[in-house]
Amino acid sequence: MAVTTCLTWMQEKVLQNYFGEKQFSLLYKASVHDFSSKGLLERCSNQGPTITVIYTGDYIVGAYAQNDKEEYVFITLFVFQETEISECKIGPFQLSMVFQDNCKFCVNLEKKRMYISPETKEKLGVCGYISFQECEVFRCEDLLDKRRMEGVIELKDKLLSAIRTYKPYGDLVHQTRILLLGPIGAGKSSFLNSVKSIFRGHVTNQALVGSYTCGTSDKYRTYFINDGKNADTLPFILCDSLGLSETEEGLCMGDIPYILKGHIPDRYKFDCTKPITPGHDNYIGSPLLKDRIHCVAFVFNANSVEHLSKEMVSKIKRIQRELIKCGVVHVVLLTHVDTLDMIMKGDLVDIYSCLPVKLKLEAVHRELGFPPSNIFVVRNYTSEWELEPVVDVLVLSALRQMLWAADDFLEDLPFEETDRCVW
Amino acid sequence: MAVTTKLTWKEERSLQKLLGNISLRLLYKSSVHGNNIQNMNNKCIGQGPTITMIYLPEYTFGIFILGHYPEMGKNFKEPNNSFFFSFRKNETMKMTTAFLNSTLKITSEELRFDFAEFWSLHILSRNKNICIPKFLEEELGLPSDLSCRYSECEVFRVEGIKDDAGYISRITEATQHRNSLLEDLRDYKPYADLVSEIRILLLGPVGSGKSSFFNSVKSIFQGRLSRQAIVGSDITSITEQYRIYSIKYGIDGESLPFKLCDSMGLGEKEGVGLCVDDIPHILKGCVPDRYQFSPHKPITPKHPAFITSPSLKDGIHCVAYVFDINSMDNLSFEMRAKLIQVQKEVLNHGVAQVALLTKVKNSNEVLENNFSKMSKSMISQSQIIIASELLGIPVSKIFVVENYASEQEMDPVKDILILSALKQMLRAADDFLEDLPLE
Repeated sequence: MAVTTCLTWMQEKVLQNYFGEKQFSLLYKASVHDFSSKGLLERCSNQGPTITVIYTGDYIVGAYAQNDKEEYVFITLFVFQETEISECKIGPFQLSMVFQDNCKFCVNLEKKRMYISPETKEKLGVCGYISFQECEVFRCEDLLDKRRMEGVIELKDKLLSAIRTYKPYGDLVHQTRILLLGPIGAGKSSFLNSVKSIFRGHVTNQALVGSYTCGTSDKYRTYFINDGKNADTLPFILCDSLGLSETEEGLCMGDIPYILKGHIPDRYKFDCTKPITPGHDNYIGSPLLKDRIHCVAFVFNANSVEHLSKEMVSKIKRIQRELIKCGVVHVVLLTHVDTLDMIMKGDLVDIYSCLPVKLKLEAVHRELGFPPSNIFVVRNYTSEWELEPVVDVLVLSALRQMLWAADDFLEDLPFEETDRCVW
Repeated sequence: MAVTTKLTWKEERSLQKLLGNISLRLLYKSSVHGNNIQNMNNKCIGQGPTITMIYLPEYTFGIFILGHYPEMGKNFKEPNNSFFFSFRKNETMKMTTAFLNSTLKITSEELRFDFAEFWSLHILSRNKNICIPKFLEEELGLPSDLSCRYSECEVFRVEGIKDDAGYISRITEATQHRNSLLEDLRDYKPYADLVSEIRILLLGPVGSGKSSFFNSVKSIFQGRLSRQAIVGSDITSITEQYRIYSIKYGIDGESLPFKLCDSMGLGEKEGVGLCVDDIPHILKGCVPDRYQFSPHKPITPKHPAFITSPSLKDGIHCVAYVFDINSMDNLSFEMRAKLIQVQKEVLNHGVAQVALLTKVKNSNEVLENNFSKMSKSMISQSQIIIASELLGIPVSKIFVVENYASEQEMDPVKDILILSALKQMLRAADDFLEDLPLE
């Protein structure tokens, strides 16, 4: 009874992206609605731009009609095979004539046969009379239309407000401390810049970003984020450390417990070869709860996370074990989600529904052991000058999840450890 | 005019959540395709499940129809499963629903839904009028005499929905049932007030989902995903401490009248996982919160943290054996032997026993449509029979759940499985308390 398209998710996505980041609504399906021009025209007239998809055994022939308003329309005829699309513009025609007889391109639904003029052979690679099994017609709409964008902006404002007014669990601390850990080049500093940019209202670049081998973040940094509108400090601090490395150049494993417990001061310069010791000049001997790390976010580049070396995977698992021992809740941030296969800006609105993202989360769960519900995808600001609400929503949603995770950590603390907060 | 819906993105998302990740595809819009039934019918017949949206001044009213739109003049001969919903256009955007059987008739003048006896709903396209019967207004919480002129009518095809009438009924009623369970659990009082709260001990192999179950329970009462008990997929047990978790109702609510006690996972070999000799002490209530277990050496009365004179409330009132449902077919001989050892200790103390099977994949099919018991197909599952025979626990004391681990949004059907299991555990604990000798 359900009326669904024959297109696979990937096929539909290739077409949607090809014609300009569209979304398709199936209006007519020949095997359900009769192989008749009447059945098609009744459903598809006055529906705005449409795309007709015709399935032969070996390839798809399609016709994209951009403007339903005009009596005569130009049609983009295309052939879609594997992931390749060849196209040819023809017209103008009266749209209804395409489903009657016509000289260059016509579809005879009753006979399940179409005709393509030899004139288009050079561009399309096919011509003549071609039998088909199925015909579907879709309305084409912009994936990121005004309505959806309004919803996204509203959601962004709601998230901003929720984070501005957020109070850590039980008022045990005034600010939540979130530590970013990840391989060099994963996007930790870019994420920092993105968060700062969102609250400032325009793109900023305080945390240096680079791709040097040893990483530009060789110091421990605790970033207080200012709320641009009110110049108030926000209720969280993002902590950035030296990147992880397979070799001896990255963050020293022995430093991690000290970071978690709050012994390491802002701007401490890490030494790859040896951890901080209590004897160090800047060592914080008696850190308070507010100095500790309340949530850890592993940051990975979504594109390279499946290709981490065995050494890196092993190191990440050792760190996880250390975090569990310290009771610190941890999540995963996958950056650069926009560079995954087929992902467009409009997809960010419903990003967890996209097949490549689902597969990526499953892969991270399988390889690194993180529960999928603790994995968030974001896109960092790297080259833009102005903010994009769809990007902001991803970053803010991830941030809110981290704050909630930190609340879980604070709630789980033994009572004795919270006493130190009594002023 | 562009062929785009008036439905707001937020309203669309509410429907998506309710109906289980569907997509809405606009088929007909009265202001574009003509405000008459013939044009509506042309575009909507043979399109599978549909939603008809009527836009009123302060409300949006919708009708979901599972079957095909009938052609004009033809009538559904049998009642069609429909449900009706409304959104109110204000800040909070509340959604109300009602699931009803109705027959749909289409003439050139109107769309008409007939309910039992004499009630019917009319949509008259020429006048842009809708008449909603009084009982439906009441059920949806609409103001009386709402019938009036609408500004727009749209029809969508619903893609991705399960093609099953029972499913529609279930999901529209699930939220209501879930909320009812939440209240029952909040208001629960232990038998004869013998203790102020029930303690439920979660016991099971490493990786069976004990800590995830706690997180899931807490997530439901908290209203957002909880990660308090850290979970992972290591081969060794993540949980090495004894934890006595209390759960609040809502973010800042009061503590609920039960606690979930999480222990180290059971290992197959000696010296791996929870020490069997620790169990009597746990059951009596001698082990304090956060006690660090050792696989090699049980706690002893000489341990500084040992609770020497535990009261009834410190002890365990119900034991839940937790298994990954997918591992039941492959439990090793060693694990079975260890479980028998463990159960012997539990039986010695007379504590109530239940079993909890986690990681079920088809949570929508576990319960009968009214959520009151497990479906027959579920009861016949071999995993449940295995658990029943292995532990000597009746099938009625074996619960199936799917913890929150993969999704990031709450699901009322999943909640019902978890809350129902919890409710039954509390009943089992009551039986234990009732059976205690008078002291």
